[in-house]
Amino acid sequence: MKYILKKTLMMLITLIVVSMLVFLAFNIIPGDPAARRLGTEATPQQLAALRKEMGLTDPLFVRYIRWATGFIHGDLGQSYSYGSVSKLLIDKIPITISMALMAFLIMVVVSIPLGIFTARHQGSVVDHVLLVVDQVVMAIPPFFSGILLTLIFGLTFRLFVPGSFVSWKTDMRGFISYLIFPAIAVALPKIAMSVKLLRGSVIEEMRKDYTRTAYSRGNTVRGVLYLHVLKNALIPVITFMGMALADMVSGSIVIEQVFSIPGLGRMLLVSINNRDYPVVQAIIMGVAILVMIVNWMVDIIYRIIDPRIESL
Amino acid sequence: MGNKSNREPILSVENLKIEFHDHASPETAVEDFDLELFPGEIVGFVGESGSGKSLSAMAIAGLLNRKSLTKSGRIMFQGKELLTCSRSVLRTFQGDEISMIFQEPNTSLNPVKKIGWQIEESLRIHHLDVSPAKRKERAVKMLADVGMYNPEKIYEMYPHELSGGMRQRVMIAAAMIGNPQILIADEPTTALDVTVQAQIVELLRKINREKGTAIIFISHDLSLVRQLCSRVLVMQKGKVVESGDTEQIFNSPKNSYTKELIAAIPVVDIANDTEYIDEFKYSEDVLKVKDLNVYYRNHKTGLFSKSNRQQILKSVSLSMKKGEILGLVGESGSGKSTLAKTIVGINKDFEGTIQKTDDYPQMIFQDPYGSLNPGRSVRWILRESLRADRKKKWTEEEIDKRMKDVLTQVELPLEYLDRMPSQLSGGQRQRVSIALSLMQRPDILIADEPVSALDVTIQAQILKLLEHLHEKLGISILFISHDLRVVYHLCDHVAIMKKGKIVEFGQTRDIYKNPQADYTKELLQSAGIVDLGI
Repeated sequence: MKYILKKTLMMLITLIVVSMLVFLAFNIIPGDPAARRLGTEATPQQLAALRKEMGLTDPLFVRYIRWATGFIHGDLGQSYSYGSVSKLLIDKIPITISMALMAFLIMVVVSIPLGIFTARHQGSVVDHVLLVVDQVVMAIPPFFSGILLTLIFGLTFRLFVPGSFVSWKTDMRGFISYLIFPAIAVALPKIAMSVKLLRGSVIEEMRKDYTRTAYSRGNTVRGVLYLHVLKNALIPVITFMGMALADMVSGSIVIEQVFSIPGLGRMLLVSINNRDYPVVQAIIMGVAILVMIVNWMVDIIYRIIDPRIESL
Repeated sequence: MGNKSNREPILSVENLKIEFHDHASPETAVEDFDLELFPGEIVGFVGESGSGKSLSAMAIAGLLNRKSLTKSGRIMFQGKELLTCSRSVLRTFQGDEISMIFQEPNTSLNPVKKIGWQIEESLRIHHLDVSPAKRKERAVKMLADVGMYNPEKIYEMYPHELSGGMRQRVMIAAAMIGNPQILIADEPTTALDVTVQAQIVELLRKINREKGTAIIFISHDLSLVRQLCSRVLVMQKGKVVESGDTEQIFNSPKNSYTKELIAAIPVVDIANDTEYIDEFKYSEDVLKVKDLNVYYRNHKTGLFSKSNRQQILKSVSLSMKKGEILGLVGESGSGKSTLAKTIVGINKDFEGTIQKTDDYPQMIFQDPYGSLNPGRSVRWILRESLRADRKKKWTEEEIDKRMKDVLTQVELPLEYLDRMPSQLSGGQRQRVSIALSLMQRPDILIADEPVSALDVTIQAQILKLLEHLHEKLGISILFISHDLRVVYHLCDHVAIMKKGKIVEFGQTRDIYKNPQADYTKELLQSAGIVDLGI
């Protein structure tokens, strides 16, 4: 319990530090929000009045507190061109998160059995072939595999219609079956990496003394593998998968372009182009929060799997 | 053996041969190995590392499954041939009829599984009819039987929460829960402290007596084997060179290797020791430690963890005279190595005084495999010590001459200068380590368990070398060891440490004859040197 509390506290502190950095960064960037809103023909008096009204004349710290409390209450500020940022993002967040979670699920479901399989058949022909395939897949960036998937499954087999994204609000099945392909594209290199990692980890654990003990008790190879080795071998893989999930959220920026999905990533690119800083700021903050929550979950899962982690 | 001829052996091994095929030509690891094991006896396998004693035992336990390895011969148990039978048949015996415990209790248990789960494993595999509640009951009883005070609590714990000795007890409990006919113990006490060693041996003896389990006890420690086993197999280079009744072999060994092994055991015969130590031959102190308190600071592991300063040594005082070998004895964690490091100057966080005639005492370490840089030649390693010499600048010729002198002193041929550590045996490496420590002509040498990682016969050679160097060069040596027999032979004075304190300090012979501290008595008793009836 103390461990969870400590990790939560750690997460909150990191969150505060990150939010300060993000806020500071967007204040250093040149450009005056008041000037942007009024356009080039505003008089200095008008500008000064609006700046006062927008609170831009307050000290930095006061502005930070105002921004942060607003953020906590769901008020992410005002976009320069679209009004409320919260309203703008509320529809995009579920799309990106669903895609990242699907990619994560695909990675777990595919890579764990495959990692165990290659480790068990270490040195066989199948193992060698899979290792080469693994190496190749690892090197393909998601945007490229995304294009290939569109070509093969979209244009040739017509399993989905490229560019015809449907919202989950109108068609849940259509939503999932459209997202599954970008999710695969994002997951592929991660699958390759975690297969390789798990294979190495299982092989290493199989050499350890406790597996010899397990055999001496009369375990089958299967028993040794699933009852003894797997839990130990998963420890490094879980760290990787946590990082991969965080990476999948940020990796959506590119893949949403390829599949023309109106998610957070696409919004981010558009906002950067428009220099719509409040939106960029909110998205970056959101992604940072997500990454921290994922790390926090990994820490908790770690504690459950490995009793050696001190509950200081 | 006459009385055994009318009994049926429970296990018989004939003509066992084990070959490795890792290289172009096969290497024979075990050859012509025969054994008949009778119910309820304890047989010792004795030999040095690489003699094949562990491999033979692993073959009996059915644990040799490497593809690059071939086995031939016969291992008969309950009418089944274990060497060639399928894994599914072999499995039915493993953990149920034939159980095994290993040398390293720290790594032999699964770190992420509860103790209870691990103890019950054999029951879960072989006796599906036993209910979970009944299993737990038996596991808890088993834990109590192996001498655990809090079996219910230990049942729920993880291996890392237990000490080495307790883990070995857990291993024994897990091995014994199915009531096997044969227990194979592969160096079960080697990784443990002397007093814990004695407890584990006592536990094995109790199991043998109460349950009638036949035990195969593998060890390189001949005095332990003599205490425990009724019969011994002496192995060398994969072959059994001598076997028979323990006392017979120890009293009148026939084979030359057996003789050598037995001669390498330092005999401690306190009653008949009449050697007199002339205290006047020691005058000057080379090292004087007074009221030394040493602390160790735990590094902070996280943002919120406090860094805490722990006291490791508590008012330690001792002195070493010029030209003597001073023994420092204690178990792991007693602070021996901390004291050595503080004297050398590695630990800086201390109170008290350390006076030494040599500002830079040299050290010899325990593990000759880890303490020499594997990527450098002996020449480079030796030269390095002079580059770092703070007392004097050395010219090339001087360095060259010094290296040759030192190598001669440790009795290594000069061509070894160009060898890499990997090309040397353990004993040779330790000689290089000693040569390295001599390079700067120190007054004081600190030897931290210099022979603990070596085989018995090599141990004897290295000890002889140290003694010889000490006589010839007049170096004072602080000899750290857990082996009370070796200390008895080597050291005129000894300091006994426990939990950071020196509990006894004085003439070795006096202390061994008439120990004052309870801890000293316990140590001497555990090592089988004196029988004080405690």
